Amino acid sequence: MAYLTVTDGVKQFTGFRALNGVSISVERGEFFTLLGPSGCGKTTLLRAIAGFNDLTSGSIMLDGQDLRAIPPHKRDIGMVFQDYAVFPHLSVFDNVAFGLKPRKVPAEQIKTRVAEALSAVHLQALAERLPAAMSGGQQQRIGLARAMVINPRLLLMDEPLSNLDAKLRIELREEIRDIQKRVDIATIYVTHDQEEALAISDRICVMSAGHIEQIGTPQEIYGNPQTLFVANFVGTLNTLADGEGRAKLLAELGISANAAHWTIRPERLSLLEAGQGAPSGAVALAGTISKFTYLGREAHVLVDTPAGALVVQVSNPALGAVRTPGEAVSVLVERSALMAFDADSKRLSLEG
Amino acid sequence: MSRKFDFWTLVMIGTWGILLLLLFIPVGSVLLSSFFDTSGNATIENYLRFFAEPRFQRAFINTLVVGFGGLAGALLLGSIMAFCISRFQIKGSRFVSLLAILALVSPPFIGAYSWIVLFGAGGVVRAWLRDFGIMMPPIYGVGGILVVFALKFYPFVYLMVSGALSNVNRSLEEAAEGLGLTPLQRTFKISFPMVFPALTAGGLLALIQSIADFGTPRLLGRGYNVLATEAYTLYSAEVGSNMSMATTISVVLIAVSLVFVLLQRFMSRRNVYHGNMINKPTKIKLKGWRNVLAHFAVYFIGLCGAMPVIISVIYSLRRTNGPVFQDGFALQSYERILFNLGDVVRNSLTFSASAVVMIVIVGTIVGVLVARRTTLNTSLLDGAFMIPYVMPGIVIGIAYIAAFNTGPLVLTGTASIIVLSIFIRRLPYTVRTTSSALRQISPSLEEAAISLGYSPFQAFLRITVPLIVPGIIAGGMLSFVTAINELSSSLVLYVGSTITMPVRIYLLILDGDFGTAAAMSTILLVLSGIAVYIAFRLMGRNEQALL
Repeated sequence: MAYLTVTDGVKQFTGFRALNGVSISVERGEFFTLLGPSGCGKTTLLRAIAGFNDLTSGSIMLDGQDLRAIPPHKRDIGMVFQDYAVFPHLSVFDNVAFGLKPRKVPAEQIKTRVAEALSAVHLQALAERLPAAMSGGQQQRIGLARAMVINPRLLLMDEPLSNLDAKLRIELREEIRDIQKRVDIATIYVTHDQEEALAISDRICVMSAGHIEQIGTPQEIYGNPQTLFVANFVGTLNTLADGEGRAKLLAELGISANAAHWTIRPERLSLLEAGQGAPSGAVALAGTISKFTYLGREAHVLVDTPAGALVVQVSNPALGAVRTPGEAVSVLVERSALMAFDADSKRLSLEG
Repeated sequence: MSRKFDFWTLVMIGTWGILLLLLFIPVGSVLLSSFFDTSGNATIENYLRFFAEPRFQRAFINTLVVGFGGLAGALLLGSIMAFCISRFQIKGSRFVSLLAILALVSPPFIGAYSWIVLFGAGGVVRAWLRDFGIMMPPIYGVGGILVVFALKFYPFVYLMVSGALSNVNRSLEEAAEGLGLTPLQRTFKISFPMVFPALTAGGLLALIQSIADFGTPRLLGRGYNVLATEAYTLYSAEVGSNMSMATTISVVLIAVSLVFVLLQRFMSRRNVYHGNMINKPTKIKLKGWRNVLAHFAVYFIGLCGAMPVIISVIYSLRRTNGPVFQDGFALQSYERILFNLGDVVRNSLTFSASAVVMIVIVGTIVGVLVARRTTLNTSLLDGAFMIPYVMPGIVIGIAYIAAFNTGPLVLTGTASIIVLSIFIRRLPYTVRTTSSALRQISPSLEEAAISLGYSPFQAFLRITVPLIVPGIIAGGMLSFVTAINELSSSLVLYVGSTITMPVRIYLLILDGDFGTAAAMSTILLVLSGIAVYIAFRLMGRNEQALL
């Protein structure tokens, strides 16, 4: 039996259903991410686990115990908030020590445990300061230390990095990951940032409109999306336009499956050099360049083809490799790169 | 969980109970009484009489005249001061702000009397000018009332507009400059529209206060009667006291101020241009005669506004023989208060203190209710708390007499009735400040405490309460200022043993004993000043909180 399980979780608000039969299971020490656009129900699920709003129906079990029967303050769950929720009238030290007091930890131990927690988040030098004037990154470090220091049974994080700037976000997410591995605590992390989810998680649960689209490792989510929603939400996606060009391409690749949506990731496409032939299992698709966007470590080439406009991602573009609009090119499409989805947006297998 | 639900249900019921007893029943009694004649028959005769009799028509028109006159005067003085202080470098601008606060916290009828001392029939300045052969008309009548209102209520406009002006992002004016607008065009097309809501909101506040004011037209009017003074005259006349006519006028007064209170709230809600404040406005250093003119304007307005305070302090120290002033200085007036009028000071202090304690406790609990449990019921409650804003003090007094003179609960002549009348007038302020303070505290703070192992009640106690307490105490201090300066409702409600300082001052002025009145006013000012000082210490110097 898994450490934490949510079974058939339903949350009904007046007029709309935020969670519609959600079931997840999280293992001990696992870093589990709820990923989805705003309004998909990920925060509602997190808050139900924390106890701030109860489910309408369904069960939440933690280590064999029914969580829904326990009031939130007795659940022993650490939480990190999007707006940091640092107590402005308490010093950094007192913020972190706050959760140890109701646990009746002796004063001497409080000192050492808070000091440990603060040094884990690199704030030991600021212990006596008030948090009001501190930066967002520092405040969230306080929030993290405060949640970890009580050795909770479960750690919940509600978009903890979304109010921080890009560089700091990457730095802090690495720290969160390292600390979580070190203390080996089951963590549920909510985010709408797919890159963050891929970087930090053991497993990702992609949600949309109150239900689960797919649960899997970052590799499975990105490399083998099971629904069109997941494929679209995580990473970028080219969709082949319905029509003769697509039919011809599929015929040339020898694919006969009957699917509603045919998609392909930009990085699985490449531009064919002049005079080069297509290898086996691939087809060269003739087209003209309509736009070239240089992004430093990669470049995006938008090509008009008979199968629709396709973005081709070129890694490490050379300095002189500027493509001009109007140039005729061939796009190399590999058979294995194609992903097909049926009319219900479910992934179709192309094996055989 | 269920126990907490019970607690808040209880609070909800209790709040409606308080409102019913202290607000709906008195207001209902006023309304009811206005539809009965003196012998107890149901009639609309009173209203017909109100609109037919020239005396009442005149009072109605006079009320609008002093209202709009007060608005115009306050707008003129307030916007000049606000513009100069927020746009030019004025030496001692903090001192000028302090003068504005002084004008705001001093009771208005002291202003009236001080101006009589200077410009009345036997006024000091008039006498002095007469020596030079300059004849000046005495200050009585509508002109005097408007001068006092303008000088007393300009701080409303000044504080609101200077707040708005210092929030206008300088980039906007720079952008307009870049687009080729002249400084004058910039002022009218960019700055003025930005502060227009603040101007109107401040001006309307001055208008509402002018309409409600009783002491000034009473002392300075000399036959120029307004609705507030007419209501009081009808109520207090020893022969032919006419309660039903007094209540009819009260209803009209409520209706008039309701219109402007609603307008004021509408305008202040529009008063939100939250630009980013990266580019703060800078203050220009004026040169030459412009600099002299700006300084003169600011100090002239500030000192004139604070003149009543200055006069009171000086006259309180003058040597007296009975009520007649002599040359030289002495502490006789204070001695007289100490030996003869100690109980008045004690009354004021105990009434105000008990009202404030009740206001703070009840206001905070109800504020939490309004902020945290938003249901239809609480938004109704929020609306009901508007009503005391609309009620001029005279009307509250008359309403309390109408409700508690007979019937199951007789309170007239007691200290409680004065305390309760202050309580209900100031309660909405605390409810509002508490609930808005609570709304600014992120709910995740309490949730964080809960997740760390504190029960919801403990989380509230340990996190939310410490964060709102300084604001609550500061609000209580400001309520104390209002409470201890309250004249008009206490004047209707007092009896010999429950006389308060403002009532005593008013009576002393009528008796011509200005030395003692000035000394008592000075004591009142010192008490108010201490309370404002404590409030500013607790929440930072925030003049806007005085509005």
